[in-house]
Amino acid sequence: MERSNPSNMTALRIALVAVLTAVVVVFTLLVRVPTPIKGYISLCDVVITFSAFLFGPWVGAIAGGLGTAIADLIGGYAQWAPLSFIIHGVQGMLIALIARTGMKAKVPGDAKLIMMFAGGLIGMVVMTGGYYVAGGILYGFEAALVEIPLNLMQSGVGVVLGMAVSRAVLKAYPPVRSLAW
Amino acid sequence: MLKVSHLSFAYERYGTLPNAQVLKEVSFSLNAGETLLVLGAPDSGKSTLARIICNLLPRFIAGSISGDLSIDGESMGQRAPWDLTDKVTLVGQNPQEQLLMTTCADEVAFPLESLGIERTLLVKRVHKALRDWGLEEMADVNPQEMSGGERKRLLLAVADAIDAPLWIMDEPFDDLDEHWRSQLLKRLLRKETAVLLFGSRYIDEFRGSFDSYAMLSDGVLTFGEEESIVLAYDKECDARFSPGVGEISIGSVHRFAGKGLEIVHPRKSVNSTPFSLQVKEFHVESGEIVALVGPNGSGKSTLSRVLCGLDPSVAGTLHIDGVAKDQIALRTQVGYLFQNPDYGIFLPTVRDELGWSLRHDSHLSKQVQEKMIHSSAELFHLDCDDNPTMMGYGAKKHLQAAVYHLLERPFLIIDELDSGVTYSAAFEIISLLRMKGAGIVIITHDRSFARNLAQRQYTIIDGEVRETEVGA
Amino acid sequence: MTVNTFIAGRGFLYLLDARSKLLLVLLLCVMVFLPISQWGLWLLCVFAFLTAWHAMGFTQALQPLRAILFVLVLMTLFIPLTYRDGESLLVIGRFTVATVESVQNYSFLVSRFLAITYLCTLYLWSTPMADINLALRWYGLPRNAALVLTLAFRFIPFIADSFKMIKDSHALRIGEQSSRRQRLSDAIPTITAALVYALKSIPHFAMSLEHRGLGRSGGRTEYRKLKAKGGLFTQMLVSVMIPTVFWLLFNTL
Repeated sequence: MERSNPSNMTALRIALVAVLTAVVVVFTLLVRVPTPIKGYISLCDVVITFSAFLFGPWVGAIAGGLGTAIADLIGGYAQWAPLSFIIHGVQGMLIALIARTGMKAKVPGDAKLIMMFAGGLIGMVVMTGGYYVAGGILYGFEAALVEIPLNLMQSGVGVVLGMAVSRAVLKAYPPVRSLAW
Repeated sequence: MLKVSHLSFAYERYGTLPNAQVLKEVSFSLNAGETLLVLGAPDSGKSTLARIICNLLPRFIAGSISGDLSIDGESMGQRAPWDLTDKVTLVGQNPQEQLLMTTCADEVAFPLESLGIERTLLVKRVHKALRDWGLEEMADVNPQEMSGGERKRLLLAVADAIDAPLWIMDEPFDDLDEHWRSQLLKRLLRKETAVLLFGSRYIDEFRGSFDSYAMLSDGVLTFGEEESIVLAYDKECDARFSPGVGEISIGSVHRFAGKGLEIVHPRKSVNSTPFSLQVKEFHVESGEIVALVGPNGSGKSTLSRVLCGLDPSVAGTLHIDGVAKDQIALRTQVGYLFQNPDYGIFLPTVRDELGWSLRHDSHLSKQVQEKMIHSSAELFHLDCDDNPTMMGYGAKKHLQAAVYHLLERPFLIIDELDSGVTYSAAFEIISLLRMKGAGIVIITHDRSFARNLAQRQYTIIDGEVRETEVGA
Repeated sequence: MTVNTFIAGRGFLYLLDARSKLLLVLLLCVMVFLPISQWGLWLLCVFAFLTAWHAMGFTQALQPLRAILFVLVLMTLFIPLTYRDGESLLVIGRFTVATVESVQNYSFLVSRFLAITYLCTLYLWSTPMADINLALRWYGLPRNAALVLTLAFRFIPFIADSFKMIKDSHALRIGEQSSRRQRLSDAIPTITAALVYALKSIPHFAMSLEHRGLGRSGGRTEYRKLKAKGGLFTQMLVSVMIPTVFWLLFNTL
């Protein structure tokens, strides 16, 4: 029986991306620790990492970018939406591309641990660097330096929890493998 | 118009268990305008059959299928679900799984857009459908902010707007109040629409309304006269589970009581207003079964959340054995079985789920824990190696109960157990949970269910919780 | 959780079509990065604030300011650290707190940041999300991508509610006063359950999409339509002219 797979089913692809985007929004807005600078640090990177590991670059990019952008819109930081879209979008995409190098059949869960770490690390750099550059242009590079430790912490926690959660979900819900794309 | 022959279907299982055969050689046909009622216990394959007819399975959920299905003489083997949009409409049991848009008008418009209906006609049909189902004022309201009954009506409005010749309905009368139930019945009996209706309970509206009657049990569909089908179905429901289970052993009797409680009930719909729920007095003792009865939206779940310490009350106190308890203390003493069992499930096997409850109990040895897990699983008809997220709804409810059975909470609140499992299964679950002397509060809007089970009853009338006669 | 971003109000902001408004906001945001005088930038900020005040009331108009207040404070604190080798402006003891260049830089940065904040926020508040979606489609966003956007907004409250229920369900199972370490290790089960719940809903929504006709050949029609008061071309013209004229008046070339 041919397994349904997003790569050949538009509706499944659309539903997958939309649901994961919504999950990113919820994680960004509901689990926040307020900080002075951008407003809050959140667990959004956990979901972005998770989406990138299990579902690939496109899903990681859209869920990450669109999700954080929508969260910015709803949360009252509309001016950050386009920037979050680009920064977290690239973050999601790169995490997926790197983590999945060397994977045989693009089946999630087969990614090598070291590549997942590497992907996560690059993701951290992109996210922190991206917000530093954006912040620098908007309110000065000196002031933007302050954000760096917070962003590193947020994305770092995101990578670690993202890896743990990916394993847990693969074990608890086997059909997720057929959703990979 | 619809012809099903020798249809068999089995879901693919993950793990070590063999595939579960859900439908076995089901055959029947439905002509234009005919109505068929199929009675089946929850988890009997009704939703599966409904989705197969719409060509949604096994397309979206893996499984093996054999047999033939044809609509209007055309075999459905290679057709895609979207080709059936104007031929079959499925009105599912859970609107949340089907609703897609952010306003009611958009929801009704979406399938009409798919059908390529020209805009002026489309707008007319949308507004007529919303009007017919009392949703005209809610055209721009987000369905997430509507009550369960309103969402059901939205699904019906969508079906009406599409106006397909075949409607497949899964428990459509749930959540609707009397006026809308009669409206629905009127609509279903219209001659242009063939209706295949699945129900797990024989309700008044069914009497004499359908052209044919059938029962779906263990994947086998049997036809018969109305009387005989209803009787056979009742017998089957009773036969599956053993009602009472022996003596309950109560160690020490505890008393859970609330006094002068005032609880704010958030609004469920843009049409309703938030109100305060007043509870002058409330108590449960170990070994008792107390029913909490009220119509949908009256505040039963809100009260329960306060009783188990999830939400605070505006005023009043809750005591266990005379000692006032705060929210955190309540959570360790009062368990709450959510109506949706998916909220607690996250581990790969039943054994893991049950074991998780015990993991912080360091004084129990591995062997003792294994034994406890095994006996719990057996009591609740569970297989230790089964994957919880892939189990059927009824099995998940049993798992939920097994988890709390191991947690041994002195008090338990069970939310709407009777919707989703048969009466007999519900009775069995409750008596198993009572075995260790727990005091149980059952929430229901079904008065006969309360009458058969509870020793006392609290009813919510006009924002006030009062002790009343059981079954009132 | 509310996903509503639209705030009802009055004024010309609400008369502008979503598409022309988007162009206007975009052009103005680009303009603030071009060589432009301080006075122009501050004037733009004042205009934006007054528009917000007229449209939605004073308290609402203050909101964007409140959201970025800490950033502004931070920027102020950093004045002493920028442009240290400039013409001193403010000296305390032997320490140059501010130079002319640093204050000028600060003025540019703040006015620019304020302008962008208000422009983006006002666009969002004065345009219903459905209209923004249609505007993006008009500019070339593929239909399925726009559908993803709509669906995401539909799913957010649903996922938020289920996440809350899952948290509660776990809280009840755990019970005892758990240590911080235990609570942290219980975060993973909660997150896992939430993700599994979300993933399980995906096939159901895909089923609903196809059942409702997504994928049918023969082209879809549209229920919603954007209508520009006075004609879209005129509005677009206005959207181009406003930033052009503004820049011509205040540029520093």
